[in-house]
Amino acid sequence: MATEPVDSTDSDAADATETVAPTETQLLDYRTIDRALKRLLQLVAGALVVFLWIPLVVMILLSFAENASTLFPFQGWTLAHYRATFADEALIASMFNSVRVATVAASIATVIGVLMSFALARYAFPLKETFRTFGILPMVIPGVVLGIALLIYFRALLGELPVIGAAFVPGFWTLVVTHSVYGIPFVVLIVSARLYTFDEALEEAARDLGADPFTVFRDVTLPIIAPAIGAGFLFAWIRSFEDFIRAWFVKGTMDVLTTKMFGMIKHGAAPKMNAISAAIVLVIAIALAIAMNVGNVTGYVAGTIDEEE
Amino acid sequence: MASPEVDREETNRAAFVRRLSTRGGTLGVSVGPGLVWLVLLLLAPLTFMVAVSFMEISESYDILLQPTLGNYEALFAGDGPVWQTPFFKALALSYFIASVTTVLCLVMAFPLAYLLARRGGRTFKVVIFLVLLPFFTMYLVRAYSWFLMFGPSGVINMTLITVGLVDGPVEVFGYGVPAIIVGLTHAYFPYMLLSLYASLDGMDFTLVEAARDLGASRFDALKDHIIPLTLPGIIGGSLFVFVPSVGAFITPRFLGLNKVQMVGQLIEDRITFAYDIGYGSAASMFIVVSIAIGFVLAFRYVSIEDLGGA
Repeated sequence: MATEPVDSTDSDAADATETVAPTETQLLDYRTIDRALKRLLQLVAGALVVFLWIPLVVMILLSFAENASTLFPFQGWTLAHYRATFADEALIASMFNSVRVATVAASIATVIGVLMSFALARYAFPLKETFRTFGILPMVIPGVVLGIALLIYFRALLGELPVIGAAFVPGFWTLVVTHSVYGIPFVVLIVSARLYTFDEALEEAARDLGADPFTVFRDVTLPIIAPAIGAGFLFAWIRSFEDFIRAWFVKGTMDVLTTKMFGMIKHGAAPKMNAISAAIVLVIAIALAIAMNVGNVTGYVAGTIDEEE
Repeated sequence: MASPEVDREETNRAAFVRRLSTRGGTLGVSVGPGLVWLVLLLLAPLTFMVAVSFMEISESYDILLQPTLGNYEALFAGDGPVWQTPFFKALALSYFIASVTTVLCLVMAFPLAYLLARRGGRTFKVVIFLVLLPFFTMYLVRAYSWFLMFGPSGVINMTLITVGLVDGPVEVFGYGVPAIIVGLTHAYFPYMLLSLYASLDGMDFTLVEAARDLGASRFDALKDHIIPLTLPGIIGGSLFVFVPSVGAFITPRFLGLNKVQMVGQLIEDRITFAYDIGYGSAASMFIVVSIAIGFVLAFRYVSIEDLGGA
């Protein structure tokens, strides 16, 4: 890996080291190697971005092409696939189902996750580490396993209960609670990271000045952690919206966007799939561009939240 | 002049605050909801699944309260030796594919994470945007986009044929294990990148410069300084790539096109078509236990908080 010379003294020192070790024949000088390594690194990075993008670009191109499944032989441009997609009522309805499930599930996950974050960041109690582990677990447990565990639980245990059993027939609410559990880790990780860096002296100052706990929370704590709560909500929302496998097991007869898409492409490429996917990429691109200019997205995603944001 | 009603309200509020401010009150409010939710919807279902995996299931899908090891025996039942059974083959294939994917992600993400950590400003923002956008795009859409690329008449093969480089479809660009590995690498690469970036970003690069000044070669600096200092990121990223890869369903479903079967597909198949919850829960137990062992080993080197976001 290239370590760039930050200033002249640095490279001078390195040159000096090389002159005192004359046993190694230096074909190229230090700077040339450094520059070459830097170029190589940039080349690798460029190739990676191409790798990440090429299938998406091809898919977007195909969404405008007459021939929906492969570029060659090319048969011309069309908007017919988009028209067909937005005229497909079942598909649009499934998208609204996804939005409803994601919004309710992410709201539940946010409330629970924020409270959990306070418990984990501020208080001491027995089995705290176990509590934390269980809060992170839904994120790392494979979707197939979580989906099956909840399906069996809803159908064979809760569904058999008298009176309340009927509420656990797979459908909207089973989807919501499943995704709310899945969303908790994303809220907990982001919000508790923010709380660990939170200066509690601010709260003490407000309390000393006579504010009661509610006022402190509303006027001091909440404004500071609000961006983290927003990011946590957004993450939980996206995870729910894009989840297929958990939804597949607990959805019952209700279709969300991912399960509808799965049904569409089970037997091969579908023109509508290209169009709806391209539209989603576009919407996310706009949302992400806005979010990146408003808040510190990278910080939240990578868990390196800067103070000056 | 304050009306008595306002006074009452103030007192109620004060009383409420007092009750909430006790140790029990704060803990109850902050721990309570999460505890209830996680016990009812995570601990209980998982425990129930473990129990089901050890119980007999009747023909009419009823769970009989009779302990048995039959569900586990069924995983490895079949003609021929154990390593010929569908479950063993699927599990071995899943671990193989997940391992290759993890190594590929690590090797690919490291240079990019390094570059991002050393650079700020506009280039950084643009590159991050270009990397994050595929990451936020629906997983299903990304798997589907590779489904278009691969295949005997997929974009890659047809392009090669049209250009005239090959005469017929190339096997490697058809559906199968290579396609699955590419799809999974594409899907989970950002987890690795962000994990590595988080630890490289917090690293003190003057240490590396000092080592270089003192005569360490580039390779030595990488081996002795950069890699040990980013170990939490490497382990965290590997877990985030490996675990979902083992249980992957959508990617092998599209890119394997029934030619190969990973363990996630096998379990889904048994549940969706036969509602074979005995088989499904026993197989799930195998995945969970193997992952738990991986975590215990990994956490000897890194704490769960170091894993950060992503």
